[in-house]
Amino acid sequence: MPATSLALTPGLASFLKSLKTNPIDTSIENLISLLKRRQIRHSRSCATATAYLLRSVISACRTADSAKLIERVQGVGRRLMAAQPREMVVGNIVRRVLGLIRDEAEDDREAEFALSDVGSESQPQTPRAYDDPSLPLDRDSLSIRSEDRSARPPLTSMFSLLSHPEPEHSLPSTPGSLSPGGRLPGHGPSKDVRAEVLEGIGEIIDELGQVDDQIAAYALDHIHSNEIILTHTSSTTVQKFLLKAAAKRKFTVIHAESYPNNHEATHATVSGGSMHDDDNLGFETFQKPLIEHGITVILIPDSAVFALMSRVNKVILGTHSVLANGGLVAAAGTRVIARAAKVHQTPIVVVSGVYKLSPVYPFDFDSLIEYGDASKVLSYEDGDLVDQIDVQNPIYDYVPAELVDLYITNLGGHAPSYLYRIVSDHYRKEDISF
Amino acid sequence: MAPNKKGAQKPKANAAEEVEETFQAVVLADTFETRFEPFTREKPRCLLPLANTPLIEYTLEFLANAGVEEVFLYGGAHSDQLEKYINASKWRALSSPFKHLSFLKSTSTSVGDVMRDLDGKHLITGDFIVVSGDVISNLPIEGALAAHRARRETDKNAIMTMVLREAGRNHRTKSTSTSPVFVIDPTKNRCVHYEEIDRSPNCTGPARVTIETETILEFPELDIRQDLIDCSIDICTPDVLSLWSDSFDYQTPRKQFLYGVLKDYELNGKTLHTYIINDNYAARVRNLKAYDAISKDIISRWAYPLCPDTNLLPGHTYNLRKGSLYQEQGVTLARSCVIGRRTVIGQGTSIGDRTTVHNTTLGRNCKIGRNVKLDGAYIWDNVVIGDNTDVRGAIIADGVVIGKNCNIATGALISFGVKIADGISVESGKRITKTRMDGSRAESDPSVVGEGGEGYEFIHGEEDDSDDDDDENVSVASSGLIYRMPGLSLSSASISTISSELSQGSWPHSGRSSFSTDHEEQDNFHHDASASVFDSLREGVSADVVQLELVSLRMTANASDNQVRRAIVSSFMKHIQQLMEAGKGAGQAVSEVFAKYKEVVERTLFDRQKEQKKDQVDLLLLLQQDLVHRSKGDTVLLFTAKSLYELELVDEEAYDQWWNDERSSATEEMRTVRSQAQQFVDWLAEAEEESSEEEESEEEESDDE
Repeated sequence: MPATSLALTPGLASFLKSLKTNPIDTSIENLISLLKRRQIRHSRSCATATAYLLRSVISACRTADSAKLIERVQGVGRRLMAAQPREMVVGNIVRRVLGLIRDEAEDDREAEFALSDVGSESQPQTPRAYDDPSLPLDRDSLSIRSEDRSARPPLTSMFSLLSHPEPEHSLPSTPGSLSPGGRLPGHGPSKDVRAEVLEGIGEIIDELGQVDDQIAAYALDHIHSNEIILTHTSSTTVQKFLLKAAAKRKFTVIHAESYPNNHEATHATVSGGSMHDDDNLGFETFQKPLIEHGITVILIPDSAVFALMSRVNKVILGTHSVLANGGLVAAAGTRVIARAAKVHQTPIVVVSGVYKLSPVYPFDFDSLIEYGDASKVLSYEDGDLVDQIDVQNPIYDYVPAELVDLYITNLGGHAPSYLYRIVSDHYRKEDISF
Repeated sequence: MAPNKKGAQKPKANAAEEVEETFQAVVLADTFETRFEPFTREKPRCLLPLANTPLIEYTLEFLANAGVEEVFLYGGAHSDQLEKYINASKWRALSSPFKHLSFLKSTSTSVGDVMRDLDGKHLITGDFIVVSGDVISNLPIEGALAAHRARRETDKNAIMTMVLREAGRNHRTKSTSTSPVFVIDPTKNRCVHYEEIDRSPNCTGPARVTIETETILEFPELDIRQDLIDCSIDICTPDVLSLWSDSFDYQTPRKQFLYGVLKDYELNGKTLHTYIINDNYAARVRNLKAYDAISKDIISRWAYPLCPDTNLLPGHTYNLRKGSLYQEQGVTLARSCVIGRRTVIGQGTSIGDRTTVHNTTLGRNCKIGRNVKLDGAYIWDNVVIGDNTDVRGAIIADGVVIGKNCNIATGALISFGVKIADGISVESGKRITKTRMDGSRAESDPSVVGEGGEGYEFIHGEEDDSDDDDDENVSVASSGLIYRMPGLSLSSASISTISSELSQGSWPHSGRSSFSTDHEEQDNFHHDASASVFDSLREGVSADVVQLELVSLRMTANASDNQVRRAIVSSFMKHIQQLMEAGKGAGQAVSEVFAKYKEVVERTLFDRQKEQKKDQVDLLLLLQQDLVHRSKGDTVLLFTAKSLYELELVDEEAYDQWWNDERSSATEEMRTVRSQAQQFVDWLAEAEEESSEEEESEEEESDDE
């Protein structure tokens, strides 16, 4: 295989390439070791790898029984999560796939009932998650379709009962109506479950590809002219968000460099250098940096955050994952920024795809924090110090929910206290701890 | 990084066939050293656990990280155990990142044999990595590999790239017993000279490196670096293997192969290069000191992501808690026990009441009693430690049982299955084992392990198998497990003695003018011969070997007796001076050297029966000439004259003739240097008449001290 020898260092790209040719068990092991070796890291790469892997797992699974499918996915999911428990998106994607299978299975069962009475449209599964009244209606239909499938709520929410019914009829191809209809003639529920689930995973993958653009669509609602925005790390989600606003408005960005774990990528992002993060690999081509849009970007050391905070109008942060209680696990240094912002009563906006939203409740948030390479803090050459000093380099910070003012996901803006709703819309109760 | 990679490959589309070849690696699972005795008697070294994960796992992980596809694993001692382990491991499974993992057995007794064996098997198709089975690194190799390949494109003779990790002057992970010195041409990263400085405590003199004058003249810029950790990761081309085959006597990859190939640059025209990294982790568990240091590095996450909580082995379930505390699931801790920082605790281990554990690695299924103190210890699997026992800085292998109220001091090594009875103290640096060299059980020694205990004290070299010249460092290296050895740290000041050494290097040229009319090649002979003799003296090789070497050199260069003598004199004097700098008295140094190598000198003098002692006079003149340029030359000359006389190498008549020879008093310098010898010559003249008078010589000795 010359293809694999081309990509010398294993990573997401080589994994996705090998997924097509390798047997499924090999691919599972492969991903586990990639996760363990931190060769696939950052939320989105992990999520994409997991989604693709699960798609292969399900298509390789020749069983008709949805219970067996669930068992299989759970088994794989457990191993993946054990490989790198701090990449919570892996668990999120696994849970969503499990939810998909359960939905399809339930749809099936109900479809069989529904064969006698044809009121299938009244199933409790159909209501959308568009319960946020602030939801703009001018979104492109593609994005609606994708998130719609993945966001299919398992439970009926009170909010959605009252929600605007408009998206409902704007989407004739919703799964609620499609799946029973598609199943009616075939009467082969077993075969359908897999096909439906595969389609669902395909939509999760689509969602992962589009999530940044969807979030960026809200940018103009949140960034106003002549504002001073403070941000942190080289998160592509944040960059796209700012770029979108930069097309229409002039504002100033203060960028904290997030030393020592992400400063190189941050510098490259600010200056538009050629360095690519793993994060955006394979998703988007090189983008013009903010400065080329005429935006003033000021790169500051992390220590200067507090001093500048009084001038800042808004803090926009990316995140590693969002927890069910509204707290978040984000790059180290985020908590300092959040605290400083709180002191100055500066609003903090966190932009994050829904896929980063985890149903995990942080009872022990220490265990969610990954400790990285100590040599990034203290040079390993300094033998005397290395011998005598304990160096800890946390890669993530836990930011409690009360420090965050607003979350912007691909579904819209939410208050931290509201996230539990989105969690229960996205993940089924039985999958939260599997 | 991947996009860069692709971008880089597009322009050289012509190198397509190079891309096609599989990336191979050779793992030297056994490095043919005995530094891990007595543990290596029962288990191969690369299966010894480091932070509860066998060493070989880290190495294979590194190779997998680097994207290696084909691995050749060379087992040495206990290769059956290793093979069994590998066959059961994930590396053999279908999902292994390696396409091929071949286990090669050979009867090799050295790295050199392995390489020659590999060359004979024709398995290597392209560039490959050679690592020893104890390398721990999180280095992405592609930088080094790209540098290597780029060099290969332009220069086919650049056959090897060594990956070296920068580490400051003092570093716990660096070897303390020997310190490698790399002389590098920084413009091309080419290594032009390599030497190992012996830093063991029995060598107290200033460290020195000999750099040939030509090297200095040839390169406008040279880095002499001693701050590098040699992690023995080499990227080689197949040419390296043939080079190993060509030189059948090379055994060790650095001390002999690297040194030799660099020295014979004119002969083979191959260049070796270095790739110095300063931002990733790379180290080798070369001895127990390094074992200790690297364990600490891994636990403090310097080698991230190679940490216990990465759970490299499939069954591991380590979790990181605050304070670098790694704990597996299923650990039983008593409520009142104290678990301190930097601790690793494996599954099924139970720790009793009021026990304190600090800086310690505990394996699986250990039973630690009450009120035990563990500090800095490495305890492997299934160990039982009784109540009130104190263990500090020791390594305790699988299945050891330690009784109550014992005291295990720092640096103790307790090998597999040993039982220590209640109330025994094991002193610092003691090694206790149950197994003999041949694998049989030995008689227990109650004085070491107590009544009812099992095991005996292992003394290094009892069944000597010193196949490796690193052996002499073993005891030092292992005791170095705990001792910081601050006194041994090589200061940068001592490196600067190179320059003075260099100025001395020019002395033969000045000597030549008055004595001989050598041609260029004869000068070469002098150079080679004196260097070779000097090396032999320093290594303490026996006189026969020195003689043999000298004869062969003389034959090839067709050198005259005078030249041979000159080479001997210069190398002997250089060595003596070094001994003196190391703190020996002049008299002692001289008599030691000449007594040991009497034969060598004797074989250059052919005028014993003749009346005119031309050769002997020549020798004395050469000595005098040589010592003119050395410090304390006069004293050395006196003692040399005396010991030559005592060893009956030079006759009384010769001294007389020498003294009266006009050449010996030709210049002011010559006269100064022989001034002290005056009394000896006078005494000789008197002794011819009254042979009883010998106090004088004793007086001389005392006034020198």
